[in-house]
Amino acid sequence: MQPIQRRILSVLILLAGLAWIFLRADKIGASTAGRIPAPQKGFLAPEFTLATPKGEKITLSELKGKAVLVNIWATWCGPCREEMPTIEKVYREYKDQGLVVLGVNSTYQDNQVGIVPFLEAYNITFPVVLDETGDVARKYDLRSLPSSFFINRDGTINEVVIGGPMSEALLRTRIEEILNSPSN
Amino acid sequence: MLTLFRNIFAAPRDLILILAAAWLGLTLSEKRAARHGVDSNELNNLLFAALLAYIIGGRLFYAAEHLNAFVKSPLSLVSINITLFDMWGALAAAIITGFVYCQRRRLSPLPALDALTPFFATLAIGIGFSHLATGAAFGQETTLPWGINLWSATRHPTQIYEIIASILTLGWLWSRKAESKPGSDFLLFAALTSASQLFIAGFRGDSALVFGGLRAEQIAAWIVLLVSLAGMEFLKPKEAEPMVISERIYSVPKPSAKPTARKSASAANKVRRRVAKNKPRRSK
Repeated sequence: MQPIQRRILSVLILLAGLAWIFLRADKIGASTAGRIPAPQKGFLAPEFTLATPKGEKITLSELKGKAVLVNIWATWCGPCREEMPTIEKVYREYKDQGLVVLGVNSTYQDNQVGIVPFLEAYNITFPVVLDETGDVARKYDLRSLPSSFFINRDGTINEVVIGGPMSEALLRTRIEEILNSPSN
Repeated sequence: MLTLFRNIFAAPRDLILILAAAWLGLTLSEKRAARHGVDSNELNNLLFAALLAYIIGGRLFYAAEHLNAFVKSPLSLVSINITLFDMWGALAAAIITGFVYCQRRRLSPLPALDALTPFFATLAIGIGFSHLATGAAFGQETTLPWGINLWSATRHPTQIYEIIASILTLGWLWSRKAESKPGSDFLLFAALTSASQLFIAGFRGDSALVFGGLRAEQIAAWIVLLVSLAGMEFLKPKEAEPMVISERIYSVPKPSAKPTARKSASAANKVRRRVAKNKPRRSK
């Protein structure tokens, strides 16, 4: 190809690229923008209502306006056990600023009898709810334990961390992000 | 099939796909190193240094950005959480290290980049597979028959588009004849990848919108495309080795006919003798 032909082709490619950018601008669905629920960054956190071991019911949507960390765990899971004290430590530090930690125990794949002694042994003060049917695991597309979902004050997911244990710095940086997120 | 794939390589196991692609890419690059006049061992060392800088630089830049969190828990600096990572900082560290390595080892950066092009192209395929496994870089909703069910909707399989485009790019680069312009393979890779990303990003459902609705990924890809196409215009062919001329060339009167080398040499001798004869003797 002659240099002049190549240059003309380059210019045409660039112009076509510009046209494509403007053609695909601001289409519906270009950004999820928290419109539909899905367990992925940018989406609305899927709704659930679960009970604590004492029988109190907690609904996720009722926590709107607060920064929420949903941590899905099980007593037999090593990384879950390792990260529990760090989550508890950070929760105590940030709860007055509007942080809610919601531990969701995968009860359908755990020993329900061992859950309360586990929480006492680790001095867990944040609320823990029981996923007895696996409904939350399905809604949150659970593939590994632990899985953590950092939810903004407006109810959208800010970050998903699959696997663990989460380090203290990771928890702090993500929690500070969701605490600083706007409510609407 | 897709569900099985996503179950097997769900995060953080998707890293296996990226590592496998990196290994395959490096093997291909080693095979192509000689074509660009680069020693394959040097290429390995260069890549190792750059990757090390990428990993360490990414963590250090992240720590510098979130200093308070790391001051409270310094051990987090060596945590296994891969999300404690600043990609741009990592890239800057890798590029700087790569250039310093090239300078110290007197390795030309452009041929080295050309030799590494199969590595980058294969890595791009691995990243596409990783996106497919984790559901990242997902498409917007569609009614097309090849849509995939992801994140509560039937969506454009943008990750599959990405894989196909990357495979085609690698195929193009691999089947290309040797170029005399150093840097041309790398710039072609950059141009093809940015052009395909510019096209595919138009179907993404996770775009960051800027300037009243334009997709940030498309704008970034267009800029890279512009730079790589412009760069290709400025590439110069590899300089030929200078010829060593051992014979001395004498200044001779211009003959009427084109003389042979022997004729011109004898003519030069005649001139020299004539000059010597006419030279005035120095008085004692």
